[in-house]
Amino acid sequence: MESHVRFWRVVLLAPPLLVFGLFVLWPLADSFRYSVTNWNGFSADAAFVGLENFRKIFTDGLFANAIVNSAIWMAAALVLPTGAGLALALLLDSGVRGAGVFKSIFYLPICLSSVVVGQIWIWIFQPDWGLLNTALSAASGETFGFAWLAKPGTALYAVIVAWSWQQTGLAMVIFLAGLTAIPRDLLEAAEVDGVAYLKQISHIILPMLRPATVVVIALSVINSLKGFDILYIMTGGGPFNSSDTLAMFMYDESFKKYKMGYGSAISVVLFVITLTIIFVYFKELKKMDEIYE
Amino acid sequence: MSAASEHKHVGDGWGAVTFICLTVLALLFLAPTIGVLLSAFKSTRDIALGDLWSLPQALYLDNFAEIFANPSVRIYLVNTLLVTVPATAASIALGVAAGYVFAKLPFRGSDLIFLGVVSGMFFPPQIILIPLFKLFNALGLIDTLWPMILIHSAMGIPICTLLMRNFFSTVPNALREAALLEGVNEWQILTRVALPISLPALAVLATLQFTWIWNDFLWPLIFTQSDDKRTIMLGLVSLRGQYSVAWGVQGALSIVASLPTQVIFLFFQRFFIRGMTMGAVKG
Repeated sequence: MESHVRFWRVVLLAPPLLVFGLFVLWPLADSFRYSVTNWNGFSADAAFVGLENFRKIFTDGLFANAIVNSAIWMAAALVLPTGAGLALALLLDSGVRGAGVFKSIFYLPICLSSVVVGQIWIWIFQPDWGLLNTALSAASGETFGFAWLAKPGTALYAVIVAWSWQQTGLAMVIFLAGLTAIPRDLLEAAEVDGVAYLKQISHIILPMLRPATVVVIALSVINSLKGFDILYIMTGGGPFNSSDTLAMFMYDESFKKYKMGYGSAISVVLFVITLTIIFVYFKELKKMDEIYE
Repeated sequence: MSAASEHKHVGDGWGAVTFICLTVLALLFLAPTIGVLLSAFKSTRDIALGDLWSLPQALYLDNFAEIFANPSVRIYLVNTLLVTVPATAASIALGVAAGYVFAKLPFRGSDLIFLGVVSGMFFPPQIILIPLFKLFNALGLIDTLWPMILIHSAMGIPICTLLMRNFFSTVPNALREAALLEGVNEWQILTRVALPISLPALAVLATLQFTWIWNDFLWPLIFTQSDDKRTIMLGLVSLRGQYSVAWGVQGALSIVASLPTQVIFLFFQRFFIRGMTMGAVKG
């Protein structure tokens, strides 16, 4: 019996672990190995350079620029999709007519490709006939021709807005799932006691939405680090690296400048940052499990 | 229904306010998509003259005609299918196998392995880009569809394993034990007992995986060079040069490229949303 179980464990678990190991785990370990070399992507051999790449990283102005931009994106991720998703979820949960249709509308962008989302928003920000400038012109009476994506001061923020548009639906759905878990009698009792709706939100709903909030925030932050496609489409990190993020910086150094050793060192930094976030996230989840069990 | 429904706002005027709020937000939210739809049915000249944001006077289909006359687009679509279908199937099959073991045949340390596999879904792909490039280069697979098929099969394992393990956990152990007593082996339990009742979970995964793989851009960007190996999303970007000011053609292209995933979303939205929330919350 026990040997039977052991046999099937191996037979069933070996293929997925093998594939996962070969195409995910082993490359991850390999990234660490390349990060201490000066490999250029082509030559058969690469020289060991120790921690030289990491030393260079922390003195590289472009890296500092990328990490600041990634931090801005992350901070925006904490606020934009989270806040908008929460607001939408609260509105939808009030028993409003047509909630199902609204839900679908807000959710739709999440299943669009980032490439298409980027394309759509290039048109919103298009200087001559884009929706934003058209609306601003109509509202002010003057002709607006601002090139949002071509100016260092606005490019990054424009991309973040487009990205948030796509992420909001995900946050909304998770908050809606969280709202379902709030016991109805609690809110009814509050209602009977004459507690105002805004007070119900701040005293009952928000505290009870804590687990959902943790999930939304963690996902948004992690997804902000993953945001590459949409940035590649909309600005490519430009103009003048003004919208470069860690992911984009890593791609540029590795696949445009062919500094693969240096690129690997950047991936190692990216890995450490992500790992820290996941660690905090899992710990928070576990703490919550303990509270709710 | 959820907690707050029914008992609040309704009948006191707040319902109407909420409805109007949501309608305005929904219109704002839809505006970008409507813009693309409108552009696809307009000539470049009309768009350049600032006439994008009005309803088309006549049904103008030249943009779509242009796309379907372009042989590259057909190749991109076929390539995308050739990557998406096998990779979706493979990742689900691998996830089913792993999920079954983690749910029904756990062993000492299996929780830790499970956690390790699942956390794979959180990392940015950039961290394994270079070694994979080197690996596929050594295997002579650069500029074929194989890297995408293999990577998507592997990168799909975390989410597929997570959802399948959670689903199999809800299958009563008594069912498996009864089957074992009758002399049925583990493989038969998996394929004849566990899988038939997990069709909803499989539907969730099929929708999620198909959409994500179809929409992918990064891997073909790294692993393909020639035009006849591109997938649709990369093709979309490479055709931007060819149609640089032909905004209408670009709009029509975006629509055609998104059509399969939109159709899936329309029909399987339930599954899609359930998958996204389960994947997120149970992570």
